[in-house]
Amino acid sequence: MITYQLTSMAIGLFFAATILLLVRRDHLHGPYAIWWIGAAATVALLGFFPRLFDVLAAKLGISYPPILAIVLGFSMLLVKILTMDLERSRQERLIRRLAQRLAMLEAQLPGAADSAPPDRAD
Amino acid sequence: MLAFDRPIALIPAYNEEATVGAIVGQIRALWNYPVVVIDDCSTDRTAPAARAAGAIVLPLTIQLGAWGAIQTGLRYALRHGYRTAITLDADGQHEPESIGALLPPLATDTADVVIGAFPERASRARRLAWSYFRQITGLQLEDITSGFRAYNHAAMAVLASREASLLDYQDVGVLLILRRKGLRIVEAPVSMQPRALGASRVFRSWWVVGKYMLQTSLLCLARVGFNHLPPAPDD
Repeated sequence: MITYQLTSMAIGLFFAATILLLVRRDHLHGPYAIWWIGAAATVALLGFFPRLFDVLAAKLGISYPPILAIVLGFSMLLVKILTMDLERSRQERLIRRLAQRLAMLEAQLPGAADSAPPDRAD
Repeated sequence: MLAFDRPIALIPAYNEEATVGAIVGQIRALWNYPVVVIDDCSTDRTAPAARAAGAIVLPLTIQLGAWGAIQTGLRYALRHGYRTAITLDADGQHEPESIGALLPPLATDTADVVIGAFPERASRARRLAWSYFRQITGLQLEDITSGFRAYNHAAMAVLASREASLLDYQDVGVLLILRRKGLRIVEAPVSMQPRALGASRVFRSWWVVGKYMLQTSLLCLARVGFNHLPPAPDD
């Protein structure tokens, strides 16, 4: 008979292991790696001790503990998505300025006047 | 006297091979200004046509849109020491003869930015959009979206900055940044041609117009409280 603790442990461990593997393989850049290692640790902890939420919910006066997990998880996702868009905007600014600088440099290249238009495939 | 006291003309172009050469040629012939064409990833022969007419071509590798292209030109102009920049559209609706009308306010230092205004060109829908933007921004200008403009060095420096890099159009957002920095904007009446070929990049389809109106409205509302009044005349 599989208990629900075993199930949650398996899910938590699988998730944490995947993240650690990605960080180890250098697929996640510095600041993101820190966020995701935190997430891995949290998931593993909650997987081993799913009762933590029951205790916490009781202290916070929430009568149905699972909803606390859902609300907290959802909030963290929102924060993460918001910071992702902030980062994307920062990168968009960088990319635009980089493309501008590249255009200025390309105009200075000798032979620019009679060369074919640059390859736009990339 | 500065080395580059004469203005530089900046023309953003996207697939304008039919008209760009003539515009460049006219500016060179009439004013003998250096002309920079910023090629916004055209798929036709815009860049060779511009080069053949005597322009310096800045080829963008990623399509940045009209404003991104103009900013490229402004950065180029500043790097090369120019202190006045004129922007025109490549489709032939702005007449090179009218450049003379834009420069006197800059020469006498009564303005930092001069907009070549031709409000008569507007359709009813566009007029409605303008008056709406005037309402929410408090800008006292007739032709908010005109791309026919002259900028002095102070305005060029502001608009070449990183702060202006996330804008998408050379219109309300640009004017708001200029106003926030306390720069003086005036309009000069000019005449314009109906677009020879091709349609406006903005007023193209209802979907694009809707997106544009929403984005620009948000831009205006996000700036509420930032220097809403025009700068005092004596500063």
